[in-house]
Amino acid sequence: MARAQDDVTQAQPARALDAASLRAATLDLYGRPPFESERLRWTGVARHEFVDQALGSPECWRHWLEEQLFYFLLIDNFRPESSRVEALPELLAQGKLDVRDAIHRIALSPSFDQRNPGADTFVTVVMEQLNGLRVQKNPRELEVGKAIYDGRAGTFLGRTGSSQSDILSIAVADRSFAETLIEREYRRILRAEPERKALADWVRRLQRDAFEFRGIVREWLLAPAWDARVASKREAPNRLWVRALYVDLLGRLPSDEEARRLRSALDGLSDAAPLRSVFARVLIDSGQVALPERDAIPEPSGWIAERFRSLLGREPSARELESFVSTFRDAECRPQTVLYAIVTHPEYQSY
Amino acid sequence: MNQPNAFDRREFLIGTAAGSLALASDARATLRVPFQARRTQHVVLVAFAGGVRTRETFGAAGNVPTLEAMAKEGVLYKRAKSSNLGHFGAALSIFTGVSEARGIRENARGEDPTLFEYLRRDLALPASQVWISTSGGAQQTNYSYGLHPDYGARFGANTVDGDGLFNAEFKSILDAWGKPKALSNKEQELLAKLRAAIESRGAAASLNSPESAAQVEKYILEELTSGTADIRGANAADAKALRVARNLLVVFKPKLVAVVLQQADIAHGSYNGYVEVIRQNDAALGELWKAVKGDAELRDSTAFVVVPEFGRDADLNSRRGLDHGDGSNDLEYVTATCWGPDFARGRIVEDDVQVVDVCPTVCELLGARAAKSRAKRLPRLLA
Repeated sequence: MARAQDDVTQAQPARALDAASLRAATLDLYGRPPFESERLRWTGVARHEFVDQALGSPECWRHWLEEQLFYFLLIDNFRPESSRVEALPELLAQGKLDVRDAIHRIALSPSFDQRNPGADTFVTVVMEQLNGLRVQKNPRELEVGKAIYDGRAGTFLGRTGSSQSDILSIAVADRSFAETLIEREYRRILRAEPERKALADWVRRLQRDAFEFRGIVREWLLAPAWDARVASKREAPNRLWVRALYVDLLGRLPSDEEARRLRSALDGLSDAAPLRSVFARVLIDSGQVALPERDAIPEPSGWIAERFRSLLGREPSARELESFVSTFRDAECRPQTVLYAIVTHPEYQSY
Repeated sequence: MNQPNAFDRREFLIGTAAGSLALASDARATLRVPFQARRTQHVVLVAFAGGVRTRETFGAAGNVPTLEAMAKEGVLYKRAKSSNLGHFGAALSIFTGVSEARGIRENARGEDPTLFEYLRRDLALPASQVWISTSGGAQQTNYSYGLHPDYGARFGANTVDGDGLFNAEFKSILDAWGKPKALSNKEQELLAKLRAAIESRGAAASLNSPESAAQVEKYILEELTSGTADIRGANAADAKALRVARNLLVVFKPKLVAVVLQQADIAHGSYNGYVEVIRQNDAALGELWKAVKGDAELRDSTAFVVVPEFGRDADLNSRRGLDHGDGSNDLEYVTATCWGPDFARGRIVEDDVQVVDVCPTVCELLGARAAKSRAKRLPRLLA
């Protein structure tokens, strides 16, 4: 019976995941590359199945939350530690909270207030970050917002308020919030500007029901525009690179502390490549990366091709493979040397 | 009383020459000529930022003895007009010479080239000759270069955020993982061969050449063990930025080191804390100045320009702190201090200048041209 099933010709599912698209999808939705078990599980499976599973998982929304906190620069000492913010990934995954309320919660956290102290800074950041408004072009709104922040009544973005929290409630309810959120999330995931008509439609849907956001993201991940994103490469931000390196080399994610400290150090450099190289070498030579002894690789072409698939999300070209294999034949070329060459190469720094 | 206007006369001559040769193919060279005889070979540009009023610097005796000493031996601009563009935008405008609105938390590069790009492009400098030392984290690496197609990453400055990089926690992570194995020459060759065999070039912008990247790598590892990571105190991040600048000057002898301070912004919630940060930053600036004066190569060839990005409100807020948004003179006018081998001594300029004038001034001082800047050179600067 089992043999008979094996013999049945299986149709390739629509938009089946390959090494490149699976790596891109996990980086986009989880902020990390796939684990080995996930590569086995999802390669060749329809993309929509993976996307549906991811969008229902807390890990996906934890990554979304981290991206939002980075957008608001609520990082390091300003990272919200409250249980109300920590609970967001679970609530979002379960569909018990929508993205509008989630961002409202982030903005209501004491960290947001501490990060943006004083009426002028607070109202300016709300207008810029939540509503996409330039305060220099909207001086009246800024002045009214500052008065409301200080407890005086006023009309801000067309609604009345008289407190600091009113500023936030008004800001997240405004259409400009939905438009700003959709625009920046589209840019983050698709790496392109949304087409105006489609943007208007998504904004209308989000304004009507903010739970629609998950469906909108699903559409983006299944659209041809996302295939174009997979084909294009962009320098990976340090926060993503750190997580990718840990998963790819150690088979685990960094702890929050490891991720924060490394990201913070790398973010302190306009050219992080030299420090990335230092840290990649430190990790590879730590003895904690599972690598076979050189002599245990009698047929290097298979081992090298697998490194290309798992680390770069693609097959090596014939010329690349030939060059790697011939170099590996030199007795001084270690498996670590191969790994080091790949993870310090600009292609690995991109995603 | 104002000093004789030597720079104005020279400017007039330069202007006349430039005007008469405006159609010549290399106007840039025309502007450069008068600067070739100057002694200034290095510039330390300090954005004394975070929002610092003149009232707490030159308006309060004893808070800033270093700046006062610099001013006595240099030029003081008492009315440098700034724009309240938020810390990020206002500091960026010092480097671009263009006053443009940027979001306070906008974590993106500007459209205009920076003075770092002008210097590297015009003078064909490697990345190791142009540095920025910051204290404000990820956002400030955007000062390194802009998005202008004629300039960009290949002419950017190396940015080092001292507090993000040189801290005990990061050092402990590196220590915990151990040191990387030293590669033999042969293995290095093989590694280079493998890297060269990978056909894709990736998307990473190449700010450093392989040579300068190796220098940066070496510098970082040395700085991690130099004690910078152990600096503590109210102004720790700013103090690290100034310490890093000092070490960069000594190690690389760069054309330009810019420093961006930030911690005076504690003023929103604490006036006393703000004054303390100003005092400590002035003291750390004094250490930097002393190091320059003690270095035979730097002492007679290094200029300092120190300027806040903007001031602060005239009155205390309800938390007995100082915000920035009232449009007052305290907010919009700051004091700029210039000291250097080619500058006038003890000159006080009462006329209005612009904070953004710093960009073309530094560029021309070093022989470059801030081609896209909309600012002017600081008047009456030279002796």
